[in-house]
Amino acid sequence: MVDHPSDLRTPLGRVRFLGSARVGTTEARLVHLTSVALVPLTIGFVCLMLDLLRKDYNGVRAVLTRPIPAILLLAFILAGIVHMELGMRSIIVDYIGGHARAWALAANTCFAALLALACLYATLRVAFT
Amino acid sequence: MASSDALPGPRRPRPMSPHLSIYRPTMTMAMSIAHRISGAALYVGVLLLAWFLIAASADSSSFAVFSDFIGSFIGRLVLFVVTWALFHHLVGGIRHIVWDAGYGLDAPLRDQMAWATLIGGFALTIFVWSIGFAVR
Repeated sequence: MVDHPSDLRTPLGRVRFLGSARVGTTEARLVHLTSVALVPLTIGFVCLMLDLLRKDYNGVRAVLTRPIPAILLLAFILAGIVHMELGMRSIIVDYIGGHARAWALAANTCFAALLALACLYATLRVAFT
Repeated sequence: MASSDALPGPRRPRPMSPHLSIYRPTMTMAMSIAHRISGAALYVGVLLLAWFLIAASADSSSFAVFSDFIGSFIGRLVLFVVTWALFHHLVGGIRHIVWDAGYGLDAPLRDQMAWATLIGGFALTIFVWSIGFAVR
């Protein structure tokens, strides 16, 4: 970087807030962590749904009271919705700018959080009754 | 060029990724777009899972509304598309994990992996739906 004598700012002052890696790697690492976790979880989830979708109301509830299907479903929901929120975040950042970006990012996080809570609550409610 | 970034005054526009209007289409580009589209489809498709779970946690009449929908033509079509999006994104995701590890980036293999994503996504969808109809 060239030093400009007329510029009173320090080299640090000039580069600050131009973009940082303070939390950027955390987000990328979380995308990768959830993606690796979702490979076996998705296979398990598909097997579970193949069983559940041919069952009636009482049949579905009976399966979800068992620990392994319930925990598999909870893990899939948690990893899946975190992954989904991060994925949509990168789509928003790519295509939306200005004030709309901040609103879109907030809406994305709120939607994902509510969806995750609804799915986890419903699963736990079936599991514990 | 590098020093102009550090000059005071109005900030230069952020660099943008050169995409559709810059490069002619390639298979890896098509699968990159398909990965994003299938991911966005799953963003909507997860509502189906939420509906299923909420209906199962409520009474049997709520569950019957879900069952009627998923058994209908429209419901099955939606589920089929979501199944494809899930498998396409899964296979594409594995491809990205392999690439991120530094393997399969050379010329013939990266295109073969992109084709494998497309074929694998459809193949797994048809495979799982066949099982679904067989065990019904």
